Amino acid sequence: MDRREARGAARFSPAAGAARLIAGFALAHKKYGAEWWILIAGALIVLFVIYTALFPSTLAPYDPSDQSAGPQLSAPAARHPLGTDNLSRDVLSRVIFGSQTILGVAFAAAIVSSLIGIPLGLFSGFLGGFLDRALSLVMDSVYSFPGLILAIAFAAMLGPGVVNITLAVAVIYIPTYFRLVRGQTLTIKEEVYVEAARAIGARRWTIIGRYIFPNVIATVVVVFSLNIADAIMTEAALSYIGLGLPAGIPDWGMDLAMGKKFLPSGTWWMITFPGLMIMILALGFTMLGEGLAEILNPRLLEK
Amino acid sequence: MKNLLRYLITRVLLTVPMLLILLTLVFVVLRVMPGDPVSAMLGAHAPERVIEQKKEELGLNRPILAQYLSYLSQLARFDLGDSMIFKQRVSQPIVEKLPATLELTLVGMFFTLLIGIPLGAFAASRRRSSRDFAIRLYGNVVYCMPVYWMGLMLQLVFGVWLDWLPISGRTGSRAMPSLFERTGFYVLDTLLAGDLAACGDVLLHLFLPSLTLGIVLSGIFVRLTRANMLDVLKSDFILATRARGLPERLVVYRHALKNAFIPILTMLGLQFAILLAGAILTESTFSWPGMGRLLLERIYLRDYPTIQGVIVVFAVFVSLVSLLVDLIYAAVDPRIKY
Amino acid sequence: MVASLFTGCAKKAAPVKTLVYGTTEKVTDMDPASAYDFHTWEIFYNIYQGLLGYPPGETNIVPALAASYTPNDKGDEFTFKLRKGLKFSDGSPFNAQAVKWSIDRVMALKGDPSWLVTDYVKEVTVIDDLTVKFTLNGPVAYFPAVAATVPYYPVSPNVYPVDKIVRDITELKGGKLVGLGAYEAVSFKRDQEVVLEANKNYYGSKPLVPRIIIRYFADATTMRLALEKGEIDLAYKTMNPSDIKDLSKNANFTTYKLSGPYIRYLCFETSESVFKDKRLRQAIAALINRPEIVEKVYLGQNEPLYSMVPKGMIYHTEEFKTVLGDGNLALAEKLLKEAGFTAKKPFKFDLWYTPSHYGDTEVNLAEVMKAQIEKTPAIKVNIKSAEWATYKDQWKAKQMPVFLLGWYPDYIDPDNYTAAFAGTAGSKGMGINFSKPEWDALFTKEQTNTDSTARQQVFEQVQKMWTDEVPTAPIFQGNLFVFTKKNVLDVKIGPTLQFLYNVLRFAE
Repeated sequence: MDRREARGAARFSPAAGAARLIAGFALAHKKYGAEWWILIAGALIVLFVIYTALFPSTLAPYDPSDQSAGPQLSAPAARHPLGTDNLSRDVLSRVIFGSQTILGVAFAAAIVSSLIGIPLGLFSGFLGGFLDRALSLVMDSVYSFPGLILAIAFAAMLGPGVVNITLAVAVIYIPTYFRLVRGQTLTIKEEVYVEAARAIGARRWTIIGRYIFPNVIATVVVVFSLNIADAIMTEAALSYIGLGLPAGIPDWGMDLAMGKKFLPSGTWWMITFPGLMIMILALGFTMLGEGLAEILNPRLLEK
Repeated sequence: MKNLLRYLITRVLLTVPMLLILLTLVFVVLRVMPGDPVSAMLGAHAPERVIEQKKEELGLNRPILAQYLSYLSQLARFDLGDSMIFKQRVSQPIVEKLPATLELTLVGMFFTLLIGIPLGAFAASRRRSSRDFAIRLYGNVVYCMPVYWMGLMLQLVFGVWLDWLPISGRTGSRAMPSLFERTGFYVLDTLLAGDLAACGDVLLHLFLPSLTLGIVLSGIFVRLTRANMLDVLKSDFILATRARGLPERLVVYRHALKNAFIPILTMLGLQFAILLAGAILTESTFSWPGMGRLLLERIYLRDYPTIQGVIVVFAVFVSLVSLLVDLIYAAVDPRIKY
Repeated sequence: MVASLFTGCAKKAAPVKTLVYGTTEKVTDMDPASAYDFHTWEIFYNIYQGLLGYPPGETNIVPALAASYTPNDKGDEFTFKLRKGLKFSDGSPFNAQAVKWSIDRVMALKGDPSWLVTDYVKEVTVIDDLTVKFTLNGPVAYFPAVAATVPYYPVSPNVYPVDKIVRDITELKGGKLVGLGAYEAVSFKRDQEVVLEANKNYYGSKPLVPRIIIRYFADATTMRLALEKGEIDLAYKTMNPSDIKDLSKNANFTTYKLSGPYIRYLCFETSESVFKDKRLRQAIAALINRPEIVEKVYLGQNEPLYSMVPKGMIYHTEEFKTVLGDGNLALAEKLLKEAGFTAKKPFKFDLWYTPSHYGDTEVNLAEVMKAQIEKTPAIKVNIKSAEWATYKDQWKAKQMPVFLLGWYPDYIDPDNYTAAFAGTAGSKGMGINFSKPEWDALFTKEQTNTDSTARQQVFEQVQKMWTDEVPTAPIFQGNLFVFTKKNVLDVKIGPTLQFLYNVLRFAE
């Protein structure tokens, strides 16, 4: 490696990328004002919910399935800050444990999607040719289709169960990662430094690994966050219509569907809190993603 | 012009493989399914022999590839097959219920535009102000709100507490749709029949469900409008109008918006897919007799041909709308060169 | 085409008095030979007729399409004399040939309710145009009650295909439902609405409300709101308990509480599943805490049930209460230990329910039962669900070791609550697969014996044996609720749970 290439490579090493991210944060505060606060707010929400998902027992006063936690259908009060449901279970505990379910499924789905979509996008964009065109066509077709409907079809066919629901949700986001990464790959591929690297005989893997991948990562992180927000909404919707997880696992979507039946009687707490949590969590990831986007690349999301 | 024509033709032709891919995906999903559809249909009183016979009849014993090819050839003839549970053509309930969903989606689109465009334009014109911030927050919050929750809230507030609007069905209980039903689009049908009272009733029933749908999608629309408007507002053309001394309001709402309009409309076409997805959830909340409810009912009954048919119809619609949008965009947007 | 658009103008609805009936039920098959669910039978009660029937709200059998009937001495032959001059709503004549044709069709098609015919009837003979004779397999004490059930309803040979079950109205020749009932179905949109209008050719008391629209709701909550808003006049099946509680207190509505013969219970697959061992079945039955279920899930709107024969029916006893009890942890653990299960080696099984067929509360019922059963660490329960169509399929294929089920009576007699589950033939159809010769002998005895003391002895014995073998475990007896606007009168539904619409009326 001579000095020129070394300088070029240094621009794109993962270390450099991380450094840029951090520098971006530090400077962002001054430069971006409102976006900065959005990002922080989003991050705080996300971190808090991740904490409740990982350590629910530290926060939840009762077992979420405990059917004798308190009086039936009691409004929020001291002992039960979010009230109790129709089976005398503590709503606060159910909401806390429910975060495990929804976050788990959303995260897992996003990871599965990205693990499939990103490599496909990288290779397809890099290699080009017929494979690229065919794959793009497939991905574009699936992308244009209403995701929820596809998820419903998958969930209905596979049946209830954590793994099945995760798969049903994951499938619809693969094209998102694919298209994003492929687009980025195509752009970077044309850059001069990549041409130069190729000219001096750098192997494909080196090019992909050293030049393309690190640059793609930044945008992927943004999309990952937004993807999780969307996956949360999809999982909740599936549970709501009854195609989600089996009964027994605390789940916001199912609790919302159950709470709906009691709303006209004046029992507002059973539906409000799960609904609010779905919204807040999705919002948190959205704000995190958008905040990151504005800071890293303001033009990214305006497609 | 010749280039444009070439693009148009290519684009139309491209729809075919895209549709094919979607249809294949649907076929694959529905065959992965566990459980025996024929036993479910005939009941276990039926002897083994009869079950086997039925399977032969439905072609479920043939190799997958043969089933796939016959599926495709049927679709090419617009034949969606027969329901496995009821003795009816799959197309029958679809033709009945599709207008209901389309009517809901179209009026929902109207509300999306009504809310999203002015808010987005306003936010763009006041970039970085607290009002801009508030509007963008509105956009995000509303998009993250589960549509069925919003529907229930609206039902309660406007339907029950204020008692202003009906909360279920397409018509009032005492109306007789069979008297005016012609196309299935009740607003159109009641007008054609000259029955203004019925038309009013239909519109009232459309209001809450489509408002629900419209509000949720307006969230995305606010952002898209704002982004497009920001682009336009930076352009030289706007600079010139400002230089001419026009009041800001005219600059934003007449000139800038006019230019941003077409891209905004094409974006609406792309959001059609999201609208259809939201329609499914809205239909169950408002007991709206459309394709969404049909899909869910048939899923519970394990009526695979109908489930397949519904999804195929959705796929076709989405492809057509996306095609239409691309064509309009290509024909109309002066910025694109071929 | 343009011309027709304009000439089709101004067809305004003539103001016909209409009653709108909201329900969350679903219509299944439009065929008496195959439908075996509560709601579809209710529609048949009103658009078709049987040879015999019940007056609205009563339990005595009265002539309907048949003007009279005569049993022979042995009680195994019934001769029916049909009413003169009756026509189906399309004008075709109703006669003995139509009756024989319909019964033969039910027997040939072997649909779900066909056992109500084939178990009792050997053959049907046409004596003349207005006389038809049923020859039974053996004497049956309560045959008139059986003959009043829906599978015996004559249908028009001109309309129903003889060799197929009709699921949908489009499969009928002419595309219309043609019957002899008080109403005729003029429009049928599955899962949306059914429109009934008074049948001009009906021989009995003409309906007081000329048109009824049955509106199908996907969701009980929306139905409650629709009732409160006045969008529907009557709501029946199946409101949520919290809605029932509120509507009962609401002075704007009339509440009808129908107590009686609707029961809910657990079925065990007794031939091959983990519940082969009757001690395990006894243990589960002992662990159930019925009063808690009724309170928690149904807000006290139902009643605990301690026998398959419901309270209010003849020969009812409460054996389950005395022998096994409620929430009897001690007894259950003893039985489990005997069967080889302890906290270290727990008994694991799947408990199945169906999410919407019995209302939206079913998942809560399953959750509460799971909590009750798991009070002993020697058991681990997994809750599973399947929609109704799949549920039926699964129980017949022996895929569910224990599952929640419900029962509305086909006819008012304890036999319908016992033999149907523990008699060899009935038990197989219900996925319980219980078969013991002593039980079958007892059932035959009570079916053929008209002496009420003898029958009482048999039923008391059977109910006692039930707590030992536990093919099913009764849970609660359900109340059904109808809510109407204050101006809707004469909702007359008796212990038969037959809802006849022709006596409904609006207050003046």
